[in-house]
Amino acid sequence: MENRFFDNWSTQLRKGMLELCILNAIRGTSLYGYDIVRKLRNIRGLVISEGTIYPILSRLKREGFVQTTIKESTEGPPRKYYELTSKGEKILSEMNGYWQDIKTGTDALKREEKS
Amino acid sequence: MINLADNAKKHLDNYLQQVRTYLRGCKTVDADEVERNVIEHIESEFESATAAVSFEELDIVLQRLGSPRQWVPEEEISWWRKIIFRLRTGPEDWRLAYISFGLLIAGFIILPSFVVLIPASFIVARAALSETEDPGQLKAQRWLIYPSLIIVYLVSLCFFLGLPLLGLIPLAYDLEHTIRATYKIGDDTPYWLAVCSVFAGSLGLWWLIHGIVFLARPNIPKVLFRPFAGWFSRKWAFVLLLIGLGLMIPSLGLGIWYVL
Repeated sequence: MENRFFDNWSTQLRKGMLELCILNAIRGTSLYGYDIVRKLRNIRGLVISEGTIYPILSRLKREGFVQTTIKESTEGPPRKYYELTSKGEKILSEMNGYWQDIKTGTDALKREEKS
Repeated sequence: MINLADNAKKHLDNYLQQVRTYLRGCKTVDADEVERNVIEHIESEFESATAAVSFEELDIVLQRLGSPRQWVPEEEISWWRKIIFRLRTGPEDWRLAYISFGLLIAGFIILPSFVVLIPASFIVARAALSETEDPGQLKAQRWLIYPSLIIVYLVSLCFFLGLPLLGLIPLAYDLEHTIRATYKIGDDTPYWLAVCSVFAGSLGLWWLIHGIVFLARPNIPKVLFRPFAGWFSRKWAFVLLLIGLGLMIPSLGLGIWYVL
């Protein structure tokens, strides 16, 4: 019962966090899909199924937050690189601010608990 | 392009088919783009592979990518697509349950075809039932497969219990006249006594025979009316036998009294 509650809660949390982390991963740089996956793979508990990242990238592209460019690769066929658009940079800045507020508030609550 | 073993290639094709199935119709996602990304992902994973990628190696990567079903938010899938997903990729018992229910509904909507569709729905429902060893394990599927089972079982049960009546009712009038003429019975004797006697006697004999058969083979009703006749045992076969006898004895007495 407790495990199920935790699973539901963490799934809900991950949904929003993945978008935030993808946008942060490509901030100020351009990365191709697999590189984004590799970067996010290192955040424990964030990526349960790696394929989830690709539909999110596609959604972000449709929303106009990211754009793609095809670049030649020395290791194989040309690759599609993702980078933030100016609209994406703006929304990311808002999202980071929002997340920071929540994190600060949550940390404050935890500190209150201790004292 | 990576070099895949034959079974790994088939595995990848199935996976990409799933990707297309789940993402098609999802308005916020470009299914073709996601599919290309997935292929690129797999190619990057095996960039340095020198030999053909085996099924097991590919499977590890696909496991990490996860089921494409999880990639689409639930709210973006319409109710009819959810049903199609279940039919196309769900476990066999669910697929059969949906088909059975669909045939039953179609049988009611397209009325003349119910003669064909309801038996078809019943057969598929029985197939769905065979998929599970213990019918008690069926959860929501029972709502999809039980309606056609109940309809066919009830019709079969009525037919089975009343078969002699079905045969005798059209003959009742002639039968009574034959009896009356043979035994020279006057018009003052109520004819329904003869008819009731023949009906009850034949029903009694019919049930008595079945009581004896089921006493020897109590599994027959259990198999025929699965999963509703699990309670049937020799005790109930004996009850059927007694009811048969109970009908036969008074009808025999009534017949003798009528003739005499």
